[in-house]
Amino acid sequence: MKSAPFEHHEPTTVDEAVSLLESLDGPTILSGGQSLVPMLRFRLANPDVVVDINGIDSLDYLHEEDGYLRIGALARHADVEDSSLIDETYGSFADVAPLVADPQVRNRGTVVGSVAQADPKGDWGSILLAHDGEVIARGPDGERTIPADEFFLLPYDTTLDDTELITEVRVPTPAPREGSAYHKLKRKTGDYAMAGVAARLVLDDDDVIETARLGMTAVDITNARATDAEAHLEGERPSSELFEEAGGLAAEESNPESDEHGDAGYKERMVDVLAQRALGDAAERAGLVKRRVSQ
Amino acid sequence: MTDEREITLTINGTEHTLEVEPRRLLVHAIREDLDMTGTHIGCDTGNCGACTILKDGEPIKSCLMFAAQADGAEILTVEGMEDLPEATDLHPLQEGFKAEHGLQCGYCTPGMLMAGKALLDENPDPDEETIRDAISGNLCRCTGYQNIVSSIEYAADELADRTATDGGAVTAEPGGGDGPGADDAEAVCGQSECCGGPDADLFERDYPTEDTDT
Repeated sequence: MKSAPFEHHEPTTVDEAVSLLESLDGPTILSGGQSLVPMLRFRLANPDVVVDINGIDSLDYLHEEDGYLRIGALARHADVEDSSLIDETYGSFADVAPLVADPQVRNRGTVVGSVAQADPKGDWGSILLAHDGEVIARGPDGERTIPADEFFLLPYDTTLDDTELITEVRVPTPAPREGSAYHKLKRKTGDYAMAGVAARLVLDDDDVIETARLGMTAVDITNARATDAEAHLEGERPSSELFEEAGGLAAEESNPESDEHGDAGYKERMVDVLAQRALGDAAERAGLVKRRVSQ
Repeated sequence: MTDEREITLTINGTEHTLEVEPRRLLVHAIREDLDMTGTHIGCDTGNCGACTILKDGEPIKSCLMFAAQADGAEILTVEGMEDLPEATDLHPLQEGFKAEHGLQCGYCTPGMLMAGKALLDENPDPDEETIRDAISGNLCRCTGYQNIVSSIEYAADELADRTATDGGAVTAEPGGGDGPGADDAEAVCGQSECCGGPDADLFERDYPTEDTDT
């Protein structure tokens, strides 16, 4: 099926894009298009106006600056996959990038677009939650910083205003003894997660967990943190027993729905298993990682 | 409000100027406006990879992009393969698909060739896992993955042989069924999941096996 007809705008600056969003009636933002184009063609989305941001070159970046890893709105999944910055230091990023969709989709789809889409089965939302990330939005009244915790409302619904454009998502550069990981269960390449868990641990000098974060994919109405499990981990030393307990708590906190891929009980069990694995990897990486001096 | 606009696509080295509506997909512009039907449409929803082309050297699915977005781009489709510098009569990948029986019904082949081309441009000596990963966005509904992997291995060997024998000049003979790569086709089929799908992950993945009530 063809998309319904739409007007196609191609701004080349953020200012131009924002003024288009303000002046046009019900515009939809097109970035990588790997979800939006099929939605347009199935007529699940029927905007009269599409604001295509692919021409805004200033949004095409992925770098460390002022204590953050900053991902511009036009950075593709493949840019994360290929970046020399993304190694064990950013373990969860290195884990997730090759697990998103398939190679062709990763060449077009963007990290920010995935976050903006706010599909609870999307992987990046969990990564942002686990890293205390932030969403940077530009609107008619200027720039706004939205903590990832306050961004996701419902499936495909966020606290972003219709006249705002996400220009960047960012996470703090890793602490000296920080490790993170992402584990995802899916049937095959190209599928969304049946369940996924991002874990991040910061250890102090005595190997005690100072900060613990768990972000869960596809097991609630949005990407969600497992705060009970996090609280249970903090102040303790990493051990497989501790991670088993945390996995159990995360499973209890998750709210998966039964579907053709598995019933809710199965998915809860998978949250448990994936959380334990992600925590194990994160702990190992926290021990290995040396401080990276940010530019 | 949806006026057509003029765009320029350079496809296989030839510049084409055409008028498209904003909603015109790149794959439809290529197949219907320019009558280059080598690029296939399989699922029409971004899943199967049959419409894979190279845009500015990168493999993308041409059903997930509007033609207007490709204005000014350099595009390679299957029709252009035999004119590439590394081709003799056919491109080594095409030779490989012929020699190794990499096509059954042939529907996925143009996309597989494009994915294979993108891989070999980046990594001339890929191992099996890398090849499977590179074609993981391309579905073969005949499930002939093993031969497709062998075909790409054949092309990699063929290109490596040429480099070894003549420093990379494109004068090598096209290989036959007993050409380089033929020996690599055995062995792997002993694996229980070898023809199960394109997902390299499936081979290595340590899936949870706990009881699941399902």
